[in-house]
Amino acid sequence: MTFLAFARGPALQVATLIMIAGIFWRLAGVLLLRRRVAHAAARAPFLRRLTGGAKTIVTRTIPRKNFWPRVATGVSLGWVMHLGLFVILFAGAPHILVLHQITGLSWPNLPKGVIVMASAITFAALIALLVRRLTHPVLRLLSNVDDYLSWLLVFLPITTGILLSGETIAGYGTLLALHILSVEALMIWLPFGKLMHVALVFAGRGMMGFNFARKGAAT
Amino acid sequence: MTQDAETLGTMLARRGFGRRSLLKFAIVMTSSLALPPSLAPVMADNLAKAKRQSVIWLSFQECTGCLETLLRSSAPTIDALIFDFISLDYQEALMASAGAAAELTLRQAVAANQGEYLLAIDGSVPLKDGGVYSLTGGRSNVSMLEEFAVGAKAILAIGTCAAYGGIPKAHPNPTGAVGVEDVISGKPIVNIPGCPPVPEVLSGVLVYFVSFGRLPDLDDRKRPLAYFGTTIHDQCYRRPFYDQGKFAKSFDDEGARQGWCLFELGCKGPTTHNACASLKWNNGTSFPIESGHGCIGCSEPDFWDQGGFYTSLAGGSAAGWRNAGIAAAVGLAGGAAAALSARSKSSRPPEDKP
Amino acid sequence: MRDFNFLADDGLVDAILSEIAGLLQTLITDGHSGSVDLLGLPLSASCLAALEQRLGKGEITAILTAAGKSEFRETSFAGIWWSSHADETGRVAAMLIEVALVPQILLADLDDMRSGHQRLLEATNFSRQRKSA
Repeated sequence: MTFLAFARGPALQVATLIMIAGIFWRLAGVLLLRRRVAHAAARAPFLRRLTGGAKTIVTRTIPRKNFWPRVATGVSLGWVMHLGLFVILFAGAPHILVLHQITGLSWPNLPKGVIVMASAITFAALIALLVRRLTHPVLRLLSNVDDYLSWLLVFLPITTGILLSGETIAGYGTLLALHILSVEALMIWLPFGKLMHVALVFAGRGMMGFNFARKGAAT
Repeated sequence: MTQDAETLGTMLARRGFGRRSLLKFAIVMTSSLALPPSLAPVMADNLAKAKRQSVIWLSFQECTGCLETLLRSSAPTIDALIFDFISLDYQEALMASAGAAAELTLRQAVAANQGEYLLAIDGSVPLKDGGVYSLTGGRSNVSMLEEFAVGAKAILAIGTCAAYGGIPKAHPNPTGAVGVEDVISGKPIVNIPGCPPVPEVLSGVLVYFVSFGRLPDLDDRKRPLAYFGTTIHDQCYRRPFYDQGKFAKSFDDEGARQGWCLFELGCKGPTTHNACASLKWNNGTSFPIESGHGCIGCSEPDFWDQGGFYTSLAGGSAAGWRNAGIAAAVGLAGGAAAALSARSKSSRPPEDKP
Repeated sequence: MRDFNFLADDGLVDAILSEIAGLLQTLITDGHSGSVDLLGLPLSASCLAALEQRLGKGEITAILTAAGKSEFRETSFAGIWWSSHADETGRVAAMLIEVALVPQILLADLDDMRSGHQRLLEATNFSRQRKSA
């Protein structure tokens, strides 16, 4: 079996199944935990609690004004990186193709030049984030294997993707196999570390907003 | 001068072809072989002095497509004459004799040209069950290959089947088919893959061999670099559309009609090394992409088992909804078990701490 | 084959002209000929046309009929020739820029001259025999 056939075949299947199993495991493991019973009467009807939850997911994406001086750098770099990733994944032709293969849905792609720029910006943001983590005294103290591994497993697909689209350094087949394998590594790790925030951030904020609304607090 | 002692130059002169025709042929061949144009006079000189080159062709587990493509390539007169000169001493589909007479021809040709003949193979070599799945005159291909490789100066593995196992090797490979290089070692081997291979590639290799007495430069898969050094993608005339992100989404949409890139329709051009994007087929008429169908990667190993001709390189083989469902169920079960265990721990009264 | 309308790549044409200029300098100083294989370069039809236009046409055109038709045109630059070789079916099998006093294939070959001389002698001997008969 060729290297590429392995990456596109058995490796992809195994990675997909591990990711699905892992995501269901983590979500079930969190959602089925015991929750403290609220004995006070609800201050808002159920629908209001739901919309409160949804609102919190949105409002928490931007920090409160008083926190800005301290968190501006991290939040801005994080936003830039996530937006760049979004453009690459949902507006890049080959990725739309993969999503089409999975879901049957398709939409127009952005020109390659735009994706190249987004990739360069995302790459720079990732480097900046790593430098920040290594040089900020508090962050360095708090950082562990999970943080660095999660960073690496996002960095590798971006880097291999850039090399692949530039068709440079190695043959197309090799670069494509490396890119797919790096994404598979990300898929396997995703449910088990901080990368699980892809689902948990929405679940966490949503629950918090739901409870706040129940209490009649601002969301 | 006897026919065997006659040089190619003398033979051509006899047929009314002067030195200019041979030089023109050499100019065309150096261009095809990606050699410096300055080598054309050297090639012409060497060809003029060349003696008959014996080629023994053995067909194994094949469809005869490789032989057909070489026969049907309508070459101009001088090419035909030159290839006439390359003495095809044995080829089962073409020769008049059969049975015992054919076997005698083979033995005589091998004996007369011991150490000097080129052994051309098309078709894969089945190994399972002692190679019983492909026999000639009751003799297995693998045993014939092992015997006749000994006296050959070099071996040409023609077509993807002979080079890498090809179609017979596709999953589940019931006959245990392999390529020539998996059976023979210690002999110069040239792989000329393709299903079928581009005819000019074989011509080029033969002319190079006759002109310079050795095989042309090969890549890491033993393919002539001159023809397999680039991918279809690198030479494709639709490349500007790939670079601009203009892809045909289906075989009859507006993009397809405009001749846009066929990447999304499964084209394997980026991972396929061959010369068909530049040399094309039927004397430069067309090639699959120009005719509107993506490249299927027929000159690469295991091209049948790459997950489908219409699945783009950006995709892969899916896990399947059933397996995904099982994985989800396993995950749910595991997560639920973990949550339940946490719940039971939290309901137990806290232990007194010392 | 449909010709796609992308802009002529002036950069590539300039690069080829630069190479040809170098070969011409070598011809002038050392007397060594050189050539550029045009079919070996990724030239679009419009690029090829632009190159042809930049080189222009000179005073000499020669046609060779051997295994198909070949045409040799001196460009507007002395010593730079545009050579095109077609096979018997008319398909262009090779296209080169030759930098030489004259393309080598146009020169008479020594072996061809020897056999021609032999034929000429035989022809004149034969006619002499006929006259005397």
